[in-house]
Amino acid sequence: MLLQRNRDLPADPQGLPLSATGRLVRLLATAVVLALVLAGTLWGDDDAFPFGPFRMYSTRADPNAPVVSTRTVGLTAAGEEVRLSGGEVGLRRAEFEGQLNRIEKHPELLGLLAHAFAGTHPSAPHLVSVEVVQRQFELSKGRQTGDYSDKVLVEYSLEGGNA
Amino acid sequence: MTTPTAAGPAPAVSRWLFRPVPLARIAVFRVIAYLFIPIDVFLTTSWVRAHADVPTQWYRPLLIGRLLHLPTPTSTVVMVVQWALVIAAVAAASGRAPRLLGTAVFLLYAEWMVIAMSYGKVDHDRIAFLVALAVLPTIGRARFRDRRTSEAAGWAMAVVLVAVMLTYFLAAWAKIRFGGWNWPTGATLTRAVVRRGTSLSDWTLDVPYLLPAAQWLMIGFELASPLMLLVRSDRARIGLVLFLIGFHLMVFAGVGIIFLPHCIAILSILPWERLAARQRQTDPVTSSAPA
Repeated sequence: MLLQRNRDLPADPQGLPLSATGRLVRLLATAVVLALVLAGTLWGDDDAFPFGPFRMYSTRADPNAPVVSTRTVGLTAAGEEVRLSGGEVGLRRAEFEGQLNRIEKHPELLGLLAHAFAGTHPSAPHLVSVEVVQRQFELSKGRQTGDYSDKVLVEYSLEGGNA
Repeated sequence: MTTPTAAGPAPAVSRWLFRPVPLARIAVFRVIAYLFIPIDVFLTTSWVRAHADVPTQWYRPLLIGRLLHLPTPTSTVVMVVQWALVIAAVAAASGRAPRLLGTAVFLLYAEWMVIAMSYGKVDHDRIAFLVALAVLPTIGRARFRDRRTSEAAGWAMAVVLVAVMLTYFLAAWAKIRFGGWNWPTGATLTRAVVRRGTSLSDWTLDVPYLLPAAQWLMIGFELASPLMLLVRSDRARIGLVLFLIGFHLMVFAGVGIIFLPHCIAILSILPWERLAARQRQTDPVTSSAPA
């Protein structure tokens, strides 16, 4: 602290001081929130929002493992892809990736989305199935080789009385 | 932590936390923070509103949503929260009823964030902004021409600065926790550019060692971030804000991600009272009339 003022003197002729209670309440609130944030960083996960860890880009990507990008698409009878994971149904790519385990266990979630999509996009082509596709871009020593491959992770047919 | 005791570093911490800040600075920053909310809702993070159309089966409540039994975001819930939030924020920007309207804005924005983060992806760009919204109502009335300083304002600005700092410092901590000590030698930035690269950043994939070097710089800067708490003079404040905003603009150019609410919180560091002082100089009639 560069400037140490004696607190017994009026700090500033035009200053508005806090009462002792006002200070105490604020100190306690600061301590509690700080403790929650630190605990979240140490032991918490994203589920603890807003006290979870600040884990943006915190995982280490292996320089020799492929970079994975997931997309969710609807397929028309002609086999054309209609993108669903670019905000078309109100969900972002990262949200599909965050719920991938759940989609694998409950592929009918994709059916609900296709239904919602048809409702908000009445002029869109008729979809016969929904797929979650993972594209893998090959890396070698942290640099792109230019190769990639697609893998269908989940497939859900919209035709004929599926539940 | 910061519990008040007679001995030890507590008096220094307490002095730092309550160092008075001009109310005019609060008056300006409050307008910026509250008017940012309609921009955030309708423009810059409009994907939150898009959750209104998502089947509710896709809702994955966060811990806070389960603890507080927050309502499932049906399209009605999303629309009601959206309009209540925007109206409260615009009203709060007027400076009227700062405690009541400010508290309403904080609670509604917090619920808006629960709606945002409960679909499989949590963002980390708005903790400092949430802290700013939480503490602004505790200051009370603040006018542009008010020349007084206030300890309540000082505390509010101090904790926003701490939240801004922790967003960087704890990000370094998370990289060590989740990525390991060898995080900087990984391909995290390469992965980011492959997935989200722009015409301004795709070339970086072809320059050997560039992105790993950037990773070292990033984690070094994040670990050094507590130094920003020492900022004091107006010139240092302006320099710090330019540096931080510059970093976020560079990230935006590279991968299209900007921590916009966090950048708004960064703006609280600036000595906005100088704007009001300048206006006073050109307007001598009101120069001696603090509100």
